Amino acid sequence: MSITEHIPTIGALTEQLATHDYLVDPGLASALFCAVRLPQPLLLEGEAGVGKTQAAKALASLLDTPLIRLQCFEGIDASEALYEWNYPRQLLGIRVAEAQGTHLAEDSLFSRDFLIERPLLQALEHPGPNPAVLLIDEVDRADEEFEAFLFEMLAESSVTVPELGTLKAVISPIVILTSNRTRDLHDALKRRCLYHWIDYPDLAHATAIVRLRVPLAPKDLVEQVTQAVQRLRGLDVQKPPGVAEAIDWVHAAMLLGVGRLDGAAVEQTLGSVLKYREDQDVARTQGLAWVAGE
Amino acid sequence: MGGRGVADNLFSDIVAGFGQLLHSAGVPLAPEQSVRFARAISAAQPETVDELYWIARVTLLTGHNQTEIFDAVFNQVFMGLIDFADSRGQSMHAAPPESTPAGERSPNADERSGQSSTSNNVTSATPGESNTDDQNSEDPQVLAAVSDTERLAEKDFASCTEDELALIRRLVEQLPVVPPPRVGRRMKRHSSGRKIDIRATLRRAHRYGGDPVDMVMRKRIQRPRRVVLIADVSGSMEPYARVYLHLMRGAVQALGAEAFVFATRLTRLTRALGVTHPDVAYRKAVAAAPDWSGGTRIGQTLTQFLNEYGRRGLARGAVIVIVSDGWEVDSPGLVGEAMERLSRLAHHIVWVNPRKAAESFQPLVGGMAAAMPYIDTFISGHSLRALEEVMAAIGNATNRITPVATTTKVSV
Ligand SMILES: Nc1ncnc2c1ncn2[C@@H]1O[C@H](COP(=O)(O)OP(=O)(O)OP(=O)(O)O)[C@@H](O)[C@H]1O
Ligand SMILES: [Mg+2]
Repeated sequence: MSITEHIPTIGALTEQLATHDYLVDPGLASALFCAVRLPQPLLLEGEAGVGKTQAAKALASLLDTPLIRLQCFEGIDASEALYEWNYPRQLLGIRVAEAQGTHLAEDSLFSRDFLIERPLLQALEHPGPNPAVLLIDEVDRADEEFEAFLFEMLAESSVTVPELGTLKAVISPIVILTSNRTRDLHDALKRRCLYHWIDYPDLAHATAIVRLRVPLAPKDLVEQVTQAVQRLRGLDVQKPPGVAEAIDWVHAAMLLGVGRLDGAAVEQTLGSVLKYREDQDVARTQGLAWVAGE
Repeated sequence: MGGRGVADNLFSDIVAGFGQLLHSAGVPLAPEQSVRFARAISAAQPETVDELYWIARVTLLTGHNQTEIFDAVFNQVFMGLIDFADSRGQSMHAAPPESTPAGERSPNADERSGQSSTSNNVTSATPGESNTDDQNSEDPQVLAAVSDTERLAEKDFASCTEDELALIRRLVEQLPVVPPPRVGRRMKRHSSGRKIDIRATLRRAHRYGGDPVDMVMRKRIQRPRRVVLIADVSGSMEPYARVYLHLMRGAVQALGAEAFVFATRLTRLTRALGVTHPDVAYRKAVAAAPDWSGGTRIGQTLTQFLNEYGRRGLARGAVIVIVSDGWEVDSPGLVGEAMERLSRLAHHIVWVNPRKAAESFQPLVGGMAAAMPYIDTFISGHSLRALEEVMAAIGNATNRITPVATTTKVSV
């Protein structure tokens, strides 16, 4: 089945994502649809825990294709992202050749046999039938030089390995980039990408997501928790809780046999939603009964 | 996709017109983005304005801070004009966006993006105004509030009561940091830059062995300049610091500006100021800058800025706005050195010194004197009225688009 047949409309994509446990609103659905169908890299931004990474995972699982993830960090370079020569193996090759009294030509020393494929190359070389989903996570952590390198790869769907020449994608991967906006990305890269800002979900959407993730949780508890999470977001906390924290909180409450959220229950489970000690203090100062909505 | 000839024509006209309008409203658009928008429309076949909205938004925007302008332009162009389900197959003639009736807005137009309050001033523009130079330059709400508090306008922040300051902060937050772009002039300027082929340039750069991406990006992109605000929050700046924080917050959110504060050392606040609620942003800012209201070390901080951010590209070609009284007694020499380096990187340096207005002001002592030779615009910014000057200075410096000049800085 071609991608077009597989994902004919935005509505169809929305439904299929739901069967893969990912609930999208029309905005995110449109963004993912365009990313797949144009196809075009998609830059996703939003606060921590709103489901940026999960978007790529859900997409890969519905396309039944590998999710190839490149986690960016400060100082990341081509050898970590693209390929590396397998030096130990090359050395071994040379020794074996010497022991056999033969000589290993330089060309064969720098052939595919000795190449370690890193995520970007893996994504380009994925044979199909569906394109791989390439998740370039937290691209803002990489430096500008690496960004320039990525831009080139995305523009051409190919990379150049000096020893091997230009390697062109078999099937261009679906590319999803995420950023936590610790710095501004370069305009050229941004313009190459579709863009979507994932907002915190509204109450109804948040409740639906949590219920999907924790099917056994009582409905009332889920609603209380999502409301409490919204209250906490309004406080001056360093890490405002996202969807992930709401899920953790419900899990924790159920583990402790809490069926209804009150001040005492919040006290018992606070660590699951606010991970920093300082943030917990902020909530306590505000009053845990208030957090629980009492 | 077959079977929708009329609608397709309608689309292509609208797509072109909408893109142009968006571009002139300050959302820079590359041709590739418009192409993408058109392709997405034909893939997704939107039938409602809401569906079209999202397709346009994900294909044409490059950042969250453009949403407000986008919403305004989108509403202006599309509200009341079309419901695609209805228009299909009918011989509906596409009006050019300039003459689009904009009076009717769908009731949910503002809710769609989830952030409604601030776009009202722009969306209510009537069609006749859409091509004039000063469209939306003055928010009527803000102006009304300002006239209510006329007496406040000239008052030095340092002599305001806490209540007055609270009011001022609210006003500051809403003031347009940069004058909106002028439609006519801008369109002309951009038309020349549009035809350049990115791929061709890339290949050419390759041949010279340069950093291809760097070259392309610097040469090609015409956009308002980056704005970097650096505010002194040391003890001597106390009465002004909070007001400027609100100005910075507006700039971060509306312009994607970079924001820093310092007393004895530099703290980057861009992220803290990007959060939604102003009070939360303020508290985060204070928490993030531990030396709030302490002593001052201007020379050292500017050097730190250069080393950690400036040289890595943040200051290059940027409009730098420094808010400080320049009271540095320890090492004025270092201030001069840092300013000299900064002036070589930056496009324009604005220095705002709220104490400039004071009678006792002596520009010739300490750090201020050392900085003077490298300052392009020196203003006081001690009152609401004076803040308008600050905005104008930023606006003038950012709106100047000189793409060719910057290529000289690229080493090939
Ligand atoms: N729309 C959604 N549908 C279903 N589950 C979701 C959704 N959004 C978030 N989640 C859940 O929240 C968890 C956190 O999401 P994820 O890790 O993707 O967030 P993130 O935005 O990548 O966060 P970070 O910035 O911290 O990396 C996921 O494991 C998933 O269970
Ligand atoms: Mg993530």
